[in-house]
Formats: sequence, C-alpha cells, structure tokens
Amino acid sequence: MRRETGHLDTDVLAEFRAGLITGRRRRAIAAHLTDCARCTAADTELAELSALLAAIPAPVVPDSVAQRLDATLAAEVARQDEAGRGGARHSRDRRRAPRRARRPTPRLVMTRVLVPAAALVVLAAGGYGLSLIGGQSSSSSSAAAGSAAEPAAASAAPSPARANALPVPSMTARAAYPGIQKSILGLAPNGTDFLPATLRSQLEALLRAPTTMGPAQAPTAQLRACIQRLASGVSPGTVKLAESAYYQGRPAIVIVVSSGRGYLAWVVAPSWVGPGCSATSAGVLARTTLQGISAP
Amino acid sequence: MPGADGPPSDTELLRRHVAGDSEAFGELFRRHRDRLWAVALRTVGDPEEAGDALQDAMISAFRRAGDFRGDSAVTTWLHRIVVNACLDRLRRKAARPAVSAGDEQAFEALVAQDSDPARATDTRLDIDAALRILPPQQRAALLVVDMLGFSVADAAIILDTSQGTVKSRCARARARLLPHVAHLRGNRSASESVSPAQGGDA
Repeated sequence: MRRETGHLDTDVLAEFRAGLITGRRRRAIAAHLTDCARCTAADTELAELSALLAAIPAPVVPDSVAQRLDATLAAEVARQDEAGRGGARHSRDRRRAPRRARRPTPRLVMTRVLVPAAALVVLAAGGYGLSLIGGQSSSSSSAAAGSAAEPAAASAAPSPARANALPVPSMTARAAYPGIQKSILGLAPNGTDFLPATLRSQLEALLRAPTTMGPAQAPTAQLRACIQRLASGVSPGTVKLAESAYYQGRPAIVIVVSSGRGYLAWVVAPSWVGPGCSATSAGVLARTTLQGISAP
Repeated sequence: MPGADGPPSDTELLRRHVAGDSEAFGELFRRHRDRLWAVALRTVGDPEEAGDALQDAMISAFRRAGDFRGDSAVTTWLHRIVVNACLDRLRRKAARPAVSAGDEQAFEALVAQDSDPARATDTRLDIDAALRILPPQQRAALLVVDMLGFSVADAAIILDTSQGTVKSRCARARARLLPHVAHLRGNRSASESVSPAQGGDA
C-alpha cells in the first residue's frame, strides 16, 4: 500500500532494522520504505549511525591505568604464589579467606620494592641511586622475611631478569647516606634522604623509575595496618610504594598511595606506627601530592 | 586443543592460569585490555571510575577464572565481567550521594584538577558526549553491539539479558542518539576515521 502521509518514527525504523517487528507490520514497513524517500533517508541514517559507531577507534588505555592494572595483577599473582606455597607464616591470612584458602585477600597492595642492597652499595659509591628493571614474575616473593640480610643474599645469585637489568639513575639525593640503610619494621630500605624542599620531585623521580617486583617486603602487621588505614581514605587507594628512608637525616617511612588524579604521599616517623596511626596523627612528618606519573 | 605453534588461544591461557601458571592471566588480560578499557570508559563515562571498574573486573576475573565453563568465548566472559563491574559502580554511585572520608577530604582537595588537554579526534569526543545522554543499559547495549561488533547472542550473554532485550535496547539507543550525531555525519568527509565504504555523501 502506498502512503502519502504518516511517515515512520525513528523508533519504529530502529526496531524494524533490529528485527523486532515481524509479520504483516514488517511487510507494511518494507513496502512503505520502497516508496517513501524521506523514511528511506532516515533508515539510511540509522544504518550509517551503526557504521559510524563501529568506525570510532577505541581509546587506548592511559599509562597510569595500565601501570595500575599491571601492579595490581602482579600483586595478585604474588599473593597467589605466596598462598600456594602457604607456610605457617601465612596462617593469619587464612581466616580472611574462607572461600578459597589459596587466595587470601588483604587490601594492601605493594607494587614497588627496592633493589638488592649489594647493588646499592656499588652504585651508591658511584654517586647515584638506582632502580632495577625486573621481571614481572616475583618468584622470590615469599623469600624475604623482612630481614635486612635477605636482599644481599638475593643479589649474590641474580636471576636472569636482574642480570639484564639496567641501572637507572634516580636523581635522588643519596650522597649523605651512601651505606645500606637498616630496614624499618621490615620495609625495603631505600636510603634516600628526602628533604622538604625537594620532597615532591624526589618522590616523583622515584616513582618514575622502572618498578620491580623484587624481594617482597614484609612489613610488620602493625605497619601494614597503618598503611592500610592511610590507603583506605583514598580512592582507589592502591599503595604504590612503602619504603624506609630518611627525612632530613632521620629515619622515616615514605608511603605513596594512588588517588584518582595522581598520588598522595606521606612521610612518617617510625614512631608514627602504632594503634593511633592515621593520616593526621603525631609522627606524620610531611605529606604532598604528586602528579600522575607516566612511563619514561 | 590449541595449535602447537603461534600464540596460545584465550581458552588455553585461561586454562593455564587456573592450573597455576602465573604469567597466563597477564597475557590474556593484556591481549584484550584496550577493548575492555573502551567498554569501561564508555559505560561509566569517567576515566577515574573506569579505571576502578576495570581493576575490579580484572581481579574478579583473576579469582573467578575457575568458574568459567566454556559455554561462551573467553572474551565474551571478560566483557561480561567488565560490564557488570561498570554497572555495579554506576548503581552504587547513584545510591550514595557524595560522601567522603573525614580528614582526607582537605588533602584530596589539594590534588590539582587536571584539565584534560585536548586530545583525540573530535568525532570520538562528540560521540562520547552523545553517548552520555543514554541510560546506562542502553549505552552498554549499543557499545557492545555497534561499537565492539559482538553478535546479539554474545551481547545477551555479556549484558545478562535476552536477545530481544538487547535488540530493543539497541534500537531505542540508536533512535535516541541519531539527532545528536547528525552533525557528525555531515562532517564526515573531514574525518579520516570513517571507513571508506561509508565515504560518499548522498
């Protein structure tokens, strides 16, 4: 039947195209389209819309997101490995994971640990600090039981990934404390002396350095709880870095947590760690915001 | 069974992951990451939330890989998890009117608002803006079917609904979107992103 008036709604045309209209009504619409230039044009527009949508290039994952995903995944894998080997040391994690014993789910995600201490000695003598590009596989994750001696042992027998690693000057002021720093509460020692005026740039340089899942840190339970408390106030709150270092020449802990647009960083005294620790409690020596860091 | 040569199939990677291969999941996820990011970004409409949703989804897929039964493609299963994570976030966001955590608020406010410097093509930005007028369910359906090219059957799995519902959500979305993108079709000749087959203006 020919229709002089009564053009089809876009809704109806869209349903027609999607195959939602059947039988007599479908035949009527098809017949109308053969005669009506206006409705045919609208029908073509709908077809073009789908083609236009299909042709839009997919956005590429931003570096910051990609890094976060990699770090989260590395932590998941490390946790799974650790739980898989599950010694008595990890029994405290079991109660938190009733569903599946091999995957405990602490929220704390550690994504960066520092280099073997022996490597630090060598490069510190050369006047700059370094980070290593390591493999993603953190097979040694459960090895470091938090003793300062462990990293040195690890470096004595470098893994293939480490043998190929490139030292990267991190531009951090390490000159005043070239030796091996003693670990604070099980954190990987960093050796950097952070200063108020350069705190932000020092931290950004540190974050920009290639990350590695080297020997795992094993902070004490209380320190973990405190870091977790800091992170829980931030979204997404992934812990990017927690290391022992110096602040104005005194031992301190640096903690960096990702926030939506960048990072929040705290420098705290060892005495900060305790039952009352919070983002504002005594012992917070400094805090700053950092921009999102993209890969070098 | 995967071929002896060439990269392992998605199914094979997932199987290896479940069997305890620590590299397999990363390889699988990276393979599909850009597409999954596109879904997340366009479903929730905000890069920050999209990053969170994608991270949630990744962890969920990592942990629940053993539940994959193989009655759909692995990529369909991954997309389903991402879409669910996104719609969950949108629901939660709608449910909670901006509460924030105590003493972090002031600190958080110090973080510079990044004013995204102009990037990417105009067409994409305009489409993204237009997509935002759609209700989340319609937007997700249109994304999966028109932008990502999944079949209606796969889309129904991803969106956890019937094929009829997928079709009608898509139809409504297209009808609603059409007036908002008319200018893009007009400018099409200036855009290099449109396929040549669509090139000749009527």
